[in-house]
Amino acid sequence: MTKKDIDALGEIVGEKNVLTSPEDKICYGYDATRLEFMPECIVLADSKEQISSILIFANKKGIPVTPRGAATGLSGGSLPVNGGIVLVMVRMNKVYEVNKVDLLIDAQAGAITVDIDKKASKHGLFYPPDPGSLKSSTIGGNIAENAGGLRGLKYGVTMDYVNSLEVVLPTGEIVNIGKNTVKSVTGYNLLDLMIGSEGTLGIITKASLNLLPIPDARASIVASFDTLVDAAKTVRDIVGHGIITSTLEITDKVTINAIEDYLGLGLDRGLGAMLFIEVDGHSSEVKDQAKLIKSVCKENKAKDTREASSDEEREELWSARRAALSSLARVRPSTILEDATVSRSRIVDFVDMVGRIAEKYDLKIGTFGHAGDGNLHPTILTDLRDKKEEEKVEKAIEELFFETLKMDGTLSGEHGIGITKAKFLKDEIGQELFDISKKIKSVFDPNNILNPGKMFIE
Amino acid sequence: MVEEKVKERKISSKGDDLFSCGRCGNCLAVCPVYKETLDEGNAPRGKLSLIEALHKQGLQPSEKFTEKIYTCTQCNYCKNECPSGVKVDELFKTVREDLVEETRHPEVLQMLKERIEKSYNVTFDTNEGRLEWIKKVPDIDVADHLNKQAEVIYFVGCVSSFSPRASSIPRAIVTLFKEAGVDFGLLGEDEWCCGFPLLSSGMKKEAIGFADYNIEKISSLSPKKLITSCPSCYHTFKHEYPELTSKKMDFEVMHISQYLLELIKKGDLSPGPLELKVAYHDPCDLGRNSGIFEEPREVIKKIPSVELVELASNKMQANCCGGGGNLESINPGLAASIAAKRASEIIESGARVLVSSCQQCERTLSTALKKKKKEIDYKIKVMDLPELVLKSLDNK
Repeated sequence: MTKKDIDALGEIVGEKNVLTSPEDKICYGYDATRLEFMPECIVLADSKEQISSILIFANKKGIPVTPRGAATGLSGGSLPVNGGIVLVMVRMNKVYEVNKVDLLIDAQAGAITVDIDKKASKHGLFYPPDPGSLKSSTIGGNIAENAGGLRGLKYGVTMDYVNSLEVVLPTGEIVNIGKNTVKSVTGYNLLDLMIGSEGTLGIITKASLNLLPIPDARASIVASFDTLVDAAKTVRDIVGHGIITSTLEITDKVTINAIEDYLGLGLDRGLGAMLFIEVDGHSSEVKDQAKLIKSVCKENKAKDTREASSDEEREELWSARRAALSSLARVRPSTILEDATVSRSRIVDFVDMVGRIAEKYDLKIGTFGHAGDGNLHPTILTDLRDKKEEEKVEKAIEELFFETLKMDGTLSGEHGIGITKAKFLKDEIGQELFDISKKIKSVFDPNNILNPGKMFIE
Repeated sequence: MVEEKVKERKISSKGDDLFSCGRCGNCLAVCPVYKETLDEGNAPRGKLSLIEALHKQGLQPSEKFTEKIYTCTQCNYCKNECPSGVKVDELFKTVREDLVEETRHPEVLQMLKERIEKSYNVTFDTNEGRLEWIKKVPDIDVADHLNKQAEVIYFVGCVSSFSPRASSIPRAIVTLFKEAGVDFGLLGEDEWCCGFPLLSSGMKKEAIGFADYNIEKISSLSPKKLITSCPSCYHTFKHEYPELTSKKMDFEVMHISQYLLELIKKGDLSPGPLELKVAYHDPCDLGRNSGIFEEPREVIKKIPSVELVELASNKMQANCCGGGGNLESINPGLAASIAAKRASEIIESGARVLVSSCQQCERTLSTALKKKKKEIDYKIKVMDLPELVLKSLDNK
């Protein structure tokens, strides 16, 4: 980019909102993958009109534009791999009033996810998607990555709560996609195409989101098992009894030991797995379900099954699950969090496979995550400064992906493809869909200026 | 060059810790300066990435680098929330020390250093004025307490000694001591700054002399206890001095909130009833940085009829008042806007009195609350804990 280009951007957003210092470039060149790419400049945007002008300019000049929310992503979606402009969305962070009749809330793309839920809660409503980063991530980023969370089994993921979007297309047009009606089947479902498009098809500037009433009761149960197989059977049988839990989380032996090392909660280090189960709904229903879940746990040889009798006790029971990632992250300097996902019935095979890979490559891998969704997080604990170690990790991840595909699973349950999984995309979706996807990209973005270098690597 | 120093000396030993930051962004949710500025360079992970870039020699030291590093209230909330357990505070402290060594620290802090080294306190006054506040305490003879061998030495701290605005705090404390029959001594002009402002600026070497002097001076009066009312003085004596110097402290260091609780429990002080709705603000240096959360709350609960309410964020998750570190010297506007957010939490709590245990928090919050007075049709009084206890005694 030339000085003239920088000046032109300054005219759109104001000079002080275009950053070019080396310090700024460093600070806007990373995300939670810990990979780094330097942008040529950073633009702080305040309105959709500004974004439209920026894209028209960039499109004319062929300058790459990478939209960025809070950069908490785990696949590299907000990294400026081809340089150019990093377009920062965090200033557009307004959360509008709740529409109590239509159960809707509008928010600008840079709004923090948890702020939306906080506003909704004042009206007895909640925003169900709860990705791990919800206290810092932006709703725009959540939508672009179609983020998941702990409550996926019962409540689904981000796409299930997006009613309509305001989007600036790569060529500068500002469009509204979707209607704020419960039903709408007019034309192609471009809304779902935009959700999860990882900032490659358009820049989301505003979203209209669905809310649900907060359930009046909740039960929390933690069960521990000697073997992972017993825990997995429990997951199977809970669902088999027709209970759709709001959360059904698992931690494996490596994770349990890491938690014990870190917090010293007095967990049995010999445990094969722990399950963290929650149901919510009408109080009588919740009561019956909790009773049934406890008996299912016992039938499957749970060593210990505890139900929280108060909010404080719930906090205490869940402390182990909450500390899972922190505990693993403290074992070694680098923590690589994967999200390959299989169907619920294949969880045991999946964890066994991860164990085999860990042994084969002599790596420490802890697995925890959303057992109810088959969306586990094998977490590789390593030190990426060690080149040999890095090579081993790469091979292990590659094997993890291929084994997951063999189980008819998917590369990514909730983190996205970005750059970290781009080289495997074709292996999952096949040449035909890969080609169609690329064509779709070129229809929206003929000059490939919006978030280039993502998703498609030949 | 600073980057070489950084590499050779201190930071290199912290390499693992620096590398352990996964850039997950959890710190964005809690960092007061990030939340206010939305500038990634101010966020803890941003600062860590800059330090790492300097360490790897990809970045040259600059004014901007210095500005980012010092744009911090040192509230340590980020360290608390870091999943990888990065010792963010130690890393930042080490880098500030490196910057000072290369005279790349902010000029305003250099002026502060010169002032402290010249007059042994943070203000523009000479140290003789350390006991001006006591003149307004009735029935007290300074000679009975000045440099006196006593069971308790009260270390007043620079701000409470000199700021007319904070002088009601030491006055309340000595009045309470008298009421409880505490055998206490004061250091007067022989009290030197604890060194906290130097330490937080990255001037560790310069702070050592202050630590040595204060320990020697206090030890010469052989007290059993040293009481501080400023949480930063407390934190410095309790946690920094043992790292700074080999001089032993043969006395127990206590914060006034702990000591008041002891006096009340012993029956030496019996608070009277106060019909007040009180909220307590945790000062970062007393709470998160020293682990004292319960004692001040217990003292408040010992006052009959007081209703203690919690602010939306409290204890380990308490938001900073904005007055921490040296942010007020570096960027007063930013410090004020952080204070405004905390003031909103206070208003939302419905409390009529805001009690804290830090003269700095009380000043920033009181100013912030005044700016918001149009939002409420009542007045919120800001008090230090000993002031509240004294008020309750008057009501007996």
